[in-house]
This record gives sequence, structure tokens and C-alpha cells, in this order.
Amino acid sequence: MTKIELETGGSVWKLLVAEGDVVVEGQTLFILEVMKMEVPYEAPQSGTVTTLHIAEGDSVAEDDVALEIG
Amino acid sequence: MSWKPEVDEIKRRRELALAQGGVDAVAKQHSQNRLTIRERVDELLDEGSFEELGPVAGTPVYNEAGELVSYDPANFILGFGKVNGRRVIVGGEDFTMRGGSPSPAGLRKSVYAEDLAVQYKVPLVRLHEGSGGSVGGTGGKGSNLPGPVNAPSRFRSVAQAMATVPVATAAMGAVAGLPAGRLVASHFSVMSKSTAQIITAGPAVVERAMGEKKTKDELGGWKVHTKNGTVDNGADDERACIEEIKRFLSYMPDHINQLAPVLACDDPIDRCDASLLDVVPRDRRVAFEMRKVIKAVFDEDSFFEMGKGYGRSQITGLARLNGQTVGVWGNDCKFLAGSMTADGAHKARRFMELCEAFTLPIVTLVDEPGFMIGSQAEKEATIRHGTSAVLTAAMTTVPWAAVMVRRSFGVAQAAHYGPEAYVLAWPSAESGPLPVEGGVAVAFRREIEAAPNPDAKRRELEEMLAAKQSPFPRAEALSVHDLIDPRETRPELCKWLARVQPLLPDLLGPSAFAIRP
Repeated sequence: MTKIELETGGSVWKLLVAEGDVVVEGQTLFILEVMKMEVPYEAPQSGTVTTLHIAEGDSVAEDDVALEIG
Repeated sequence: MSWKPEVDEIKRRRELALAQGGVDAVAKQHSQNRLTIRERVDELLDEGSFEELGPVAGTPVYNEAGELVSYDPANFILGFGKVNGRRVIVGGEDFTMRGGSPSPAGLRKSVYAEDLAVQYKVPLVRLHEGSGGSVGGTGGKGSNLPGPVNAPSRFRSVAQAMATVPVATAAMGAVAGLPAGRLVASHFSVMSKSTAQIITAGPAVVERAMGEKKTKDELGGWKVHTKNGTVDNGADDERACIEEIKRFLSYMPDHINQLAPVLACDDPIDRCDASLLDVVPRDRRVAFEMRKVIKAVFDEDSFFEMGKGYGRSQITGLARLNGQTVGVWGNDCKFLAGSMTADGAHKARRFMELCEAFTLPIVTLVDEPGFMIGSQAEKEATIRHGTSAVLTAAMTTVPWAAVMVRRSFGVAQAAHYGPEAYVLAWPSAESGPLPVEGGVAVAFRREIEAAPNPDAKRRELEEMLAAKQSPFPRAEALSVHDLIDPRETRPELCKWLARVQPLLPDLLGPSAFAIRP
């Protein structure tokens, strides 16, 4: 189980995966908007998205867990 | 009659010194997954290279007949040794005695470390686990005779060491008080995530003074101190800390009058990494990985990042180009858009002072949108810390090369270009007083408000002004030295370094400004 933790706060601009999706390493999972920049988060490993903790439009904080890949 | 009895006595004391705090204290240290100071020294140094200084310094207890009945060795180990064939001074507290709180001889040895490093002009490595003074004094019972008023300042040599030789330190266990101050009086510091805490004062003192109940880890564990800049790096355990120190030293000269060592380089200087052509997205809003640029430009696997956990909008570290050490400083637009925060500016200032002190050329990869803004940034005195970085850059004498990767805005961008910097611009470079997205809304407020569709007008103005920030006019005006294909960055920087290398010997010696922790 790998938890994807947020490097910074911001808002969730685009969510590109859903629970149960199979993802491959390097695939963009979601994009945060931080200080007018779009910051993509990529999958560090291949697997299945087991839990989603964010939704588009959410305000998020540093160290929040965005999703989990199993 | 020979001197045999005395010689036997010397031998006995040497053996007692090696026993450290005794079998039980050493076992306790090991049971908590920590090495003893002698094991740490062995781990750092080339095998058999330790030349100990003051091994029999300690506190003896004699009986009425004048015979030694017990002997506590000094609880600070000090000596010369070699790291990858190069001489260093190494020292550290012995936690198995008095919890590392200095004994009289231990204190003498500990404060001698800096003097030796300055005298012999070799790097200083301190491996800390210990606390400061005790109200009981160094003797343990009652106060000692206070020191003379004309004694030299204990901290002068600490400052002199930083201005003379590379100083690398590690927190291996709990480090408090004086050892904590000396830990951060360094060019590179690392803490063991599994065994170290760094605290100005421990839980008992804090609870008494503040009413705050916190554990040592809550007060000063790695999660606190790798994010606030107390230490540069965190490493998993003690051995990993020592590896980081060895790596840091590999980039450094022995002292300020020597150039950094040059390694043989297998990585071709004309290597053009294809990934650089599209590493910066055309859409100006989309962030990219500056660390991928660093990896593609410098000698393979040569980037050693320092301070990754704090001031994260700025990336600083050491790397090599054609085997030669350079300081590397980039912006990370994934963190607060890469803007200059108060802690980022502090990190950048320390980085520049390190490069200036040891005559390391500086390469910047610029994507600086400006000082961080907003109420939090104002509370942190961002403009003062930021300007400190800008003026530090302006005062440096080492050669600089600046690669304009993307944005270069405001006062903050000036920190990324030292005097007479060699400036290369990528096609994605943009520069000006402030980024158009912020500037248009202010400068053209009335025009935007008066338009039938204000949003469309704002976007139109933004696009028009963004087009003007193209790097082509800058190249035509010789505002930059050259506009380059991003793939040519490594070859161009290697050529620059070959040109400035002959200038470096004249820059050796003390810096014009002091290096600060």
C-alpha cells in the first residue's frame, strides 16, 4: 500500500483516476493548483487505486493523503 | 631501574579509556540501536587511519598511597583520520558516560576540535550525541572554579573553523545545548531519523519553564528539523548519516586556500540529453520537475542535494561538470510556484556563502516568479530574508552561470545572477518586473473594468504581454549571452567552466564576508 501525500497545500484542479482504477507507474493521477501553477502528481508505482481521499475542487493541505495505491 | 611501572600504567589507562562507560553502558547504547562514539569514528574513517589525540585524558581517583583506583576517560573522542584517503579531524561525545554532558577533560577535547581543524587546515567532522553543561558543573558535584574573564571566546574558534575548512556534522542520538549549537555551526549537517533528536532544552526543562509536555521526538525529531532548516538532511540511520558526510566531503577542498578535487569524468561533456527539449511544458501554467533538468545536465549521478526538506521552492546542492565541483541552485515550481520564501532565501544565502567560502563556481537554473506573497509571507519577513539573499549574490566573487529555464521576475530573480554571470536563455525563458498574470490585473485595472468583457480583455492583455517577454528580443539586445537549445545546456556549461577554471586560483583565501550558520 502506497500513500500519495501532498507536497503542498492548494486545490484539487483535476482528478484523473477513480477508486478501483488500475494505474501504471508515471501516470498522472491528479493535478493540484498551487499559486496559479498546475502541479501534476504521478503514480510512483503501478497498482490499483484502493482509496481516494480527494475530490475536484477540494482545498487540501500539505501532508494530506490524496489517495492510496495497492 | 627502568620506567616499566609507568609504561605499564600508560598501557592500563589506554585500556581503560577504550572501555568507555563500561560494559553495561555500552550494552545499553547498543540495545537502543545506537553505535558508540568509537564505532562511529571507525565507520567514518579509512581502516586503521585513526590517530587519537589525548586518549588518556580523563578524571582519575587516587587512594591515599597515590595509586590509581578508578579512572573515567574524557567523554569526548578526538583525533585525526582519513576519509577516502584525505585527512580530517573527527570528534564526538561519548554518550556512555554522563549522557555526553561534558566532563572536564571531555570539554577540553571537544573545544579543541575546531582549533585543530584551523591549525592543520583539514575538514572537521563532528559526530554528536550529547548534552550541554549541567548545573552540577563538569565535575558533577558543586560548581567548578569559574573561568577567567579574559579567557578566549569558546565560539570564536567555531566561527573560524567555518571560515577556514569544511565542517560536516551529524546528530546520531539526542543532541542538546552546546553540542546542538555546534551541530548547526557547520556547512553540512545530517540527522539520523531513527535515533536522533535535536533540542535546545529537553522535555524536563521545557515542562518546568513552559508547562508544555512533549517527548524528545515531538520537540526535536527529524520531522521537525529536516523541515525547518536546523539540519540540511535526514538519513535513515547512523551509517547513512556517515555516508552523507563522506559524500559531502568528496566535493570539497580541504580548506579555503585549496581548489576542490577534480574527479575523472566518464560522462561526455558534449552529451545532449533529448529530454530537455520538452521538459518545460509550453502551457505556462503547467509545472515541471527541475530535478529532471539537473539530472540531465550535470555529470551522471553527481547531484548531492542539501536542504531538500525546507525552503523547498529553492533546490540547492553540489554537483560536478566534467568532474569539477559546482554549486547548483534551481527553483522548484512544484512548491509554491518556486517563489522565494523566507526559508528558501535563508537556504539560498547559506548555499551561496558555502560556494563563496570554498571557491565553488555557481550554476543556477532559474524559474523564479518572485518573492512569496500573502499574509503568511509578510509575517515571515520575506522581503528582508529575500533581500539578504539578493545582496549576498551581489557580493560574491565566484564565477556564476545562469540558465534562464522559465520565469525570472522581480527583485527575487536578481539573487540567481551573481556579478558578471554568464547567462544562457532557453526558448521557454520569460522575464520582467513581475509575471503577467499578476501584473496585468493591477497595471491595466481601469482598461479591464471598462471593457465589455473584462475577463476576455484581461486574457488578451496577458497574451499580448507574455509574447513580449519572449527571449528573442533579449538575445538580440545582448541581454543574455546566448539563446540556446535546451539540449545544449550541458556542453555550453562545460565550455563555460573550462573558461572560468583558470580564474579560480586567484579567488582562493578568506571570503569578503563571513560565513554564517
